[in-house]
Amino acid sequence: MSPTVADRPGTPERAAPSPMLQRLAAERATGALMRDRGTLYLADGQVVHAESPATPGIDVLLTTGGALRSEGWWDAVAQAGAGQRVARYLVDSGRVPGGALELCHLGALYDAAFFALAPTHTPARFRYGVSHWIGTVRPVPVHAVQRETLRRRELLDRIWPDALTDSAPLAPTAHAADAPVPARQRHVLALVDGERTATDIARHLGRSAFHTLVDLRRLAAAGLVEAVRPAASGSASASGHGRITLPEVTNDPDVALLRRLRDALEAL
Amino acid sequence: MPGIDECLIEVMRLPGARGASVVDWTSGLALGTIGESPNGDHEATAAETAEVARMAAEQPVFAQAGPYAGSTGPPVPAVEDVIVTTAPGYHILRFVETAFDSSVFLHLWLDRAEGNLAMARIRLGEIAERLVLA
Repeated sequence: MSPTVADRPGTPERAAPSPMLQRLAAERATGALMRDRGTLYLADGQVVHAESPATPGIDVLLTTGGALRSEGWWDAVAQAGAGQRVARYLVDSGRVPGGALELCHLGALYDAAFFALAPTHTPARFRYGVSHWIGTVRPVPVHAVQRETLRRRELLDRIWPDALTDSAPLAPTAHAADAPVPARQRHVLALVDGERTATDIARHLGRSAFHTLVDLRRLAAAGLVEAVRPAASGSASASGHGRITLPEVTNDPDVALLRRLRDALEAL
Repeated sequence: MPGIDECLIEVMRLPGARGASVVDWTSGLALGTIGESPNGDHEATAAETAEVARMAAEQPVFAQAGPYAGSTGPPVPAVEDVIVTTAPGYHILRFVETAFDSSVFLHLWLDRAEGNLAMARIRLGEIAERLVLA
């Protein structure tokens, strides 16, 4: 059986999101890599699980859609959590079909890894020997996770080059839709209320956070959703010279650059 | 209890099957692959076919509910599959309906001379169902 993603030694690798992860894969490490926005669990140098506060966990994904009742989830955790084989138990006890569990778990793994591998200035920590109670479902090579994470960043920026919709509270615009909004985006749009963020909406829908980001960037590109910018502080209006000063909402220089780029494109 | 790999092996037993994959159409990620791919790169193939699947799934004209879409029960998938015919082969993209939120399809690349499109389409539908059923 071929691996999930074929190795392509001839392809020049782009800058790895985490050099530390690369080293851990090379030494076939087992443990938990804790980064600013999430944790990757490795077994024998392969990624077996990932978690991030930005993404709904596999429990939320399975129970929100009705694939599993929440009692079923907690029973599995109680029965098999200590033995670190919750996933195996869910399948063996007939609660979740094997293929469905693999699809859902892989989706959750890549989803959390995308956020866990986001650029950060906080140093990562690795705890050797730690494993997750979900157990092993379908291990993924580190290089596949890193490459997919980079590809996903590019995909988002191709749709709409402003990352603010990824993290800020979102509001619907007064703009009418030029074209019919596809059903999956409509479900996201219906939850945009001026307060919820992409993570809140993902959790609500039981949908992968990255999928929600894709939908939100498409909605932003269509002019239907915009990020709520924090209210201008008093000092800005006091020193204002008849000009509205937008507050700096993030220190990420990429976002500022992307916004300038968008403004320039719009001015064309 | 079939998983992704077992389903892909089963797909490859179809006469004329040259390659197959399980792909997420929102991200374009191949979750599992087997056999050949037309351009020798399963990853690139997944990203390209995902775009076709997404376009089909999101077009309003195909999104009309069928005659069996009742007001009760789970939502009926609007698009079941997409078939693209090329000179050397067929590509069947079969949407996989899961009980959790997902955007997954099975892609089969079928040789035109050796494959039987009608049979492959039916079998692929059965395999897509079995992938997510106990």
